[in-house]
Amino acid sequence: MITLTPAYKDVPLVGSPLPEIPLPTNCPGCGVALDREELADRAYVCDCGHHFEMRGEAWIAFLADLDTWTERWSDIRPHDLLNWKLPKPYSLVIDQLRSEGLNEAVRTGTCRLGGRPVWTGVFDFRFVGGTLSIVAGERLARGLEAAASERVPYILVAASGGARMQEGVLALLQMAKVNAAVGRLHAAGVPYFSILTDPTFGGTAASLALLGDVNLAEPGAKIGFTGPRVIKQATYADLPADFQTADFQLARGQVDMVVPRTELRPLLAHLVDLYTT
Amino acid sequence: MSKDDTLTVWQVVELARHPGRPYALDYIRRWAPDFVELHGDRLGGDDNALVGGVGSWAGRTVMFLGQQKGRNFPERVRRNFGMMHPEGYRKAMRLARQAAKFRFPVVCLIDTPGAYPGAAAEERGIAAAIAQAIMEWFWLPVPVVAAVIGEGGSGGALGMAVGDCVVMLENSIYSVAMPEAAASIVWRDNSRKVEVAEQLQITSRDLLAMGVVEEVVEEPEGGAHTDFDATAKALERTLLRYLEALTRTPTEELLQHRYERFRYIDSLIHADADFGPKVGSGPA
Repeated sequence: MITLTPAYKDVPLVGSPLPEIPLPTNCPGCGVALDREELADRAYVCDCGHHFEMRGEAWIAFLADLDTWTERWSDIRPHDLLNWKLPKPYSLVIDQLRSEGLNEAVRTGTCRLGGRPVWTGVFDFRFVGGTLSIVAGERLARGLEAAASERVPYILVAASGGARMQEGVLALLQMAKVNAAVGRLHAAGVPYFSILTDPTFGGTAASLALLGDVNLAEPGAKIGFTGPRVIKQATYADLPADFQTADFQLARGQVDMVVPRTELRPLLAHLVDLYTT
Repeated sequence: MSKDDTLTVWQVVELARHPGRPYALDYIRRWAPDFVELHGDRLGGDDNALVGGVGSWAGRTVMFLGQQKGRNFPERVRRNFGMMHPEGYRKAMRLARQAAKFRFPVVCLIDTPGAYPGAAAEERGIAAAIAQAIMEWFWLPVPVVAAVIGEGGSGGALGMAVGDCVVMLENSIYSVAMPEAAASIVWRDNSRKVEVAEQLQITSRDLLAMGVVEEVVEEPEGGAHTDFDATAKALERTLLRYLEALTRTPTEELLQHRYERFRYIDSLIHADADFGPKVGSGPA
């Protein structure tokens, strides 16, 4: 538990009103009937501690103070370089997701968090499993480079299955692209905070997501390199119930803390201040 | 070369995995007969899937790092089929930092189906070990040349392939995931590996066309396994040519070039107007 001075208690729990997200009628944690509006004000965390999945725009609204979000490079579009057909044409997958209003697996931009300017990159798991693609890598690299040159702290929200198969080896190489940019952010002495949400795996975990100066995991989030299905297939291992959970990774030195979403913004504001004085 | 134009993608995959194919130590011992192998990550472990050490090559001391497969079953097990644990990446970076200290260039030989997909690797932080290695290569102030000599599988390969130049042997492959894994991911059916292999574009010529590797090194008629000496000689000639140029490059220029090599690796898309303008590469 982190003790914050009263100043940080003034940092609101959520930055902007949160958009609606898909919710069950009752909480899977405690069974209570859910009140959507009340839950939105509590960052979609039930009183019992159950965290409901927030994606893309909900995370942006959560982090950004009201009317401070400026999205960048949203015009960069994915390309079907490999003319991918298996089992479904990649170009159709992309068109479908874009028609649903999703704009790639990463969106990036600037905002204020409790009044403090920050750069942010937010993965969206709904877009091909939040996979690291050329567009995702390009937006991340540009944002990281801008944060380094402007000396503005960088906040990442990770939720990703890894590199995107449909973009082949060029998707894999995005890991090197973004890590090169993270390296420059570190070399410039600009703080980098990585929020690991459920799930963060594969090439995303093995690149920028675990390279934060501070890695903050959401309670219950699964974080790892190889997913449990593949591990079981490859090794026939029995995996413990808590395998690859946030607490598992905390105990193994991979994250600095497991933070309830309701405490995240005051903590981030505090960290930004500690690391930028 | 024309002979191989008739190979199917899956035949190339099988050549890349051929059990008689030369492995990292077969090259290193031919290039540097005085090679001294070093062990351990100095953090509590060693990893036999990654060999590292120093040897003299073309008149200078070089740090060799190679993903190593085994020739027979007991050795395959000891080498974990060329699949590294976190200790392997940490050992590699320990030796890379040592190379920087003594101004030795680094040669990386890539030959892995991927990092080890097991619980032990997860428990000891395989994701962070690879992430840290990839980032650190960009800071390493000595020339780094990498060659894919067999399988270049996924993040496990990339963790050792952040070079100033990357070349591939003719019948090697380099992929976002091995075809079986990719089929399992997109199709939940790893028996579709042949179709997915064709879709992924993983052969040396595919990667050369995409601008991901600088050069493809031809193998002897029939493949590398038919003539270790000739294959080693051909790869040696190519790598030394790059190394000569790189050792004359000022460090700052070297690191800037390495940054840009990966930063703009997908430059064929950057040429597309829809993709938006290139931005500066930020402060050094």
